[in-house]
Formats: sequence, structure tokens, C-alpha cells
Amino acid sequence: MHKLDQMTPNERLQAFMTGKEMDRILAMPILVSIAHRVVGMTHKEKRSSAVNEAAAQIGCYEKYGNDIIIIEYGLHGIGRALGTKMGDPEDSVPAVEENILKDLDDLDKLDFSLTTKENDPELQRTLEACRICKEKVGDEVPVGVLISGPFTAAASVYPVEKMLRATRRSPEKVHALLRKVTDALKGIYVDYINEGVLILQCDPISSGTLLHPNQYREFVKPYATELNETINDAEGVNVLHMCGNITNTIHDIVGTGGAMLSIDNVVDMEFAKKEVGDQLPLLGNVDPVGVLLHGTKKEVHEAVRKTIRKGYDNPKGFILASGCDITQNVPIENIDAFMEAARKYGKYPLDKELLGIEN
Amino acid sequence: MSKSKEELLKQLSDCVFEMEDEEIISVAQEYLDAGYDPLEGITEGLVDGMNRAGVMYEEEEYFITDLLICSDAMYNGLDILKPHLPQKNLEGEKTYKCVIGVVEGDTHDIGKNLVKIMLETAGFEMYDLGRDVPLRNFIDKVKKVDADLVCLSTLMTTTMPGMKKVVEMLKEENMYENTKVMIGGGPISQTYCDKIDANGYSPNAVEAVKLAKLLVGMGIPA
Repeated sequence: MHKLDQMTPNERLQAFMTGKEMDRILAMPILVSIAHRVVGMTHKEKRSSAVNEAAAQIGCYEKYGNDIIIIEYGLHGIGRALGTKMGDPEDSVPAVEENILKDLDDLDKLDFSLTTKENDPELQRTLEACRICKEKVGDEVPVGVLISGPFTAAASVYPVEKMLRATRRSPEKVHALLRKVTDALKGIYVDYINEGVLILQCDPISSGTLLHPNQYREFVKPYATELNETINDAEGVNVLHMCGNITNTIHDIVGTGGAMLSIDNVVDMEFAKKEVGDQLPLLGNVDPVGVLLHGTKKEVHEAVRKTIRKGYDNPKGFILASGCDITQNVPIENIDAFMEAARKYGKYPLDKELLGIEN
Repeated sequence: MSKSKEELLKQLSDCVFEMEDEEIISVAQEYLDAGYDPLEGITEGLVDGMNRAGVMYEEEEYFITDLLICSDAMYNGLDILKPHLPQKNLEGEKTYKCVIGVVEGDTHDIGKNLVKIMLETAGFEMYDLGRDVPLRNFIDKVKKVDADLVCLSTLMTTTMPGMKKVVEMLKEENMYENTKVMIGGGPISQTYCDKIDANGYSPNAVEAVKLAKLLVGMGIPA
């Protein structure tokens, strides 16, 4: 347990879920893309083995006492397993270079059995990393996996811009792709759940920044709902993270059945609280760029204070988090500042005066 | 009886606006065959349709997918009309040139593509360097074509410093005074724009057109 805390993250989460007292607010800065830097590895070193992937996450936890550790299956895993060409940069997150599927008519030529744990070494590696984390620190801290939702996974197989056009021109072919991708994701989600891992389902490409709400309802919602049913059936927990603006689809997204919703900083916490706060706990949403990347320690403190002020009274509960994954060029001191501020302003019982809350 | 010019111009505009990317080919051909002015077909027909689509986008009636398909229709029409433009049609008129690309290290290019389409529609001569563009290439291209404007896009925070670098390179080469720099993309903000001395930031493709015109003085009498 972190020296400044009185409870382990597991105890804290348990208390949160059952409405018991906690020592401080749950704090989940999303430390995925930056974890390697915290422990002095390159990104390539981190992703080179299960041991390193786990060591980076455990290192973060030991340093910060953050309330979740997150293994990275990533957003492009399905495409990668099928043959999408990925970069292999020394020190950043690999990006798609060339999607495997050029023409939706060739969908049947793809061998989706390549995405299963029997055939995908990357899935094996990240499952192993989960096992290591569970074994070493699992009695203290929850372990999660960052993995794509249906639409983003489809975009790892077939280029986004083409897929957007195809939603108009040949919607049935987009559905056929989503059908296969969703079925593949189901198996993978269950693999992680069987390791006792929380699912952090991210679907940035389906956010309102790219899709019209009607497109979300037609091309994302049915598949996301199915995936959440699968997670529930497997007795897993699903935290939905949506990058981008979801103001127009927040009810649809929550309607897919996630256990918690993590929002981007472009969505106002007050708005989310008002709209869906009586349905599920909210996570968010300190600006990872404006504040964590470019801000000073003082600005990080102020942003954490403001975010707690907005979210603390969410009817179904509130977890302090960053609005998105924390990028690797964020100054490490700002993560220290985030956790320091979480312990200061989020200490229970909350000091309303300190938070600037008027009674 | 053949259709009037106005009728066909309206049809060209409608084809773009209503995303009829196949029908537009025969309409554009019919327009040419009737002997009407191809330049007018572009400006009063195709561009008019794209501008209407832009207005709908601004009002959130149209979305990114719609703009993409409207632009497909516009380009299909352009393919028919452009070869018939008289070579020296625009002589004497200032052409505004713009270099655009996604900075090195980033391959996300939907935003860049939309801005390119909208600027092209607005009458800019566009030089698209694509995605993952080595920073030096922006400078070289600006120099080569004597561009008035350079647009830099990125979705990733790790590649943002590349924008700053391009501004610095323009300064070093004494090109900063004459070439305006516009930036955009997910993590970009006005604050970042001010911080790196870029000339402007726009949150979306429609705003980008207004900003670009303002920065280069397009449409403002000298």
C-alpha cells in the first residue's frame, strides 16, 4: 500500500461499490502510454515482453498508489492480428500504417481465428502480463485492460475514411465487418475476464467527433450492447471510455450497459452528471493536454480541485481520472501533482471549504 | 429540348449537395455538351453545392461522412469540367496557395483531408503533402510554390512539437512574415497556437476556411 494512504485500492473500490467509507477519493490517472517512462524503459522495451509490460504498470502503482493498473491490448489489436501493418517505433505507441482490408468485398478472405489467444502472440503476451500483475499486486490493486470497442476495432481492419463513406454507400457491408469484429472481441474480452481483469472499453472512433448520433445508433450501439452483455454474462466489469464529444449520444452509450462511464475533458462533468449520473458512476476528466501536458503543478492542482468539485456528488459515485490516456511526453512531475492533489482535495470526509463548494 | 444553363447549374449544385456522386458525371457531361462555360459550372454549380453542404455541416445537419461524400461528387464533377477550362482564365487574378499536411510521426488524416476539401472549394490552390510529412518538406514546398499559407494538422500529442518546429524553421529562413501558419487537430487549442507563434487555430473545417481567408486577406480589396 502507498505510504500516504490508509486503504489499498481494492479496499477503496470495494467501499466505493458498497457505499462504505473511504480514506480518499478513488484516483485513476490513465497511465498507459506513459507507464514505460515512469520506470525508465522505452515504449518498445515495454511492449517487448509480458514481464516488462507488467513491470511498467507495477512500477507506476508503487510510485503513485493509483487505483487501477492497466495492461494495453490497445485499439488496433484485431486489425494487427489479422495482418494490418503496424509501425514499430522505438519510443512511442505503434500506429496503423496500412489496414489489411482494402475492399469490404474481401471480408471473407480474412481469417478471424488469427485473433484468438491460441494464435495471437500479442494477446498471449498481454494476458500473461495481466497474470503477473495479478500475482504480484492483485491483492492490493485492480487490474484492467485497455481494449477497443467495436467501431474502433473495425477501423483497425478497414481504413476509417473508407468506412465512414461505406456507412452511406454499403451499410450492409459495414455491418458484416462489425459482426465479425464483435464476435472476435467477445472471445478476447472473456479471456481477460477469466484472468480477473476489468475491461476498459475504448471506442474513440465512434464518438460524436466523427459519427452522427444516427450512425452511432445504427453501427455501434447494437454491437456495443452485445459486447456488454457478454461481459456481464462472464461476470466481468466494463468501464466505457469514450474519447471525444459524446454530448449527443451519452444516453445511447450508457444504454449499451457499461458498469461505469469515463468521459473526455471535452464533455462537461456537470452535464454528464445531470444526464446519466443517476445510472452509473462517472470517471473523469482532467484535461490530459491543456493541463497535464502543458500545465504547471499549480494548474494541475486547480484542475483536480475543480473536477472533484463538479463530480463529487454524482448520485452513483465519482472517480477522479484523466480525460484520456496520459501521453508519454507529459512531465512526470505532473502525475505526482495529480496524485498529490487527489490526496489533498479528495481526502474523506471532503473539506468543502477547501474545494470551494458553497453550502 | 436541352436544359437551360441555370437549370443545369442547379442540378450540378444539387448533385454535390445531395451526394449524388454518380449522377453528377452525366450532368456535368450534359452541361459541357450544351456548350456552357466550364468555369461557371465549377463556381456556380459544384462549389455552390459544396458551400451549401458546408453550411449544413456548420448547423450540424450534415456530418463528416456527408461532407466526404459531397466532396466525392464535387471531384467527380471537376474531373469532367476541369480539362475544358481555358488555360489563362484566371490571369490577373491573385491565386492563393496553400500547403497542407499531417506532421511527421502522425498518420491520422481525416481532419486534414476535410480542411483541404473545404479550402479547395473556397478557391485556394492546394498542395497536399499527405500524412507523416517530414517537417523540412513543408518549408521546401512553401518555398517552391511561394505559398501564402501552410496548414499543419495532428491528432497526437507526441507530434505537436513538430508544429512548433515548422514555425521556428519559417522564422529562421525569414519566411515567417510572408507565410501564414494555421494549425488544427484533436489536442490543438488556441492556447497552443499562441504559445508556438502560429497565426491561427481552427476547431473545424468550416471555421478553417474563414480563418484562412482572413489570414491571407482573400476577398478583401487591397
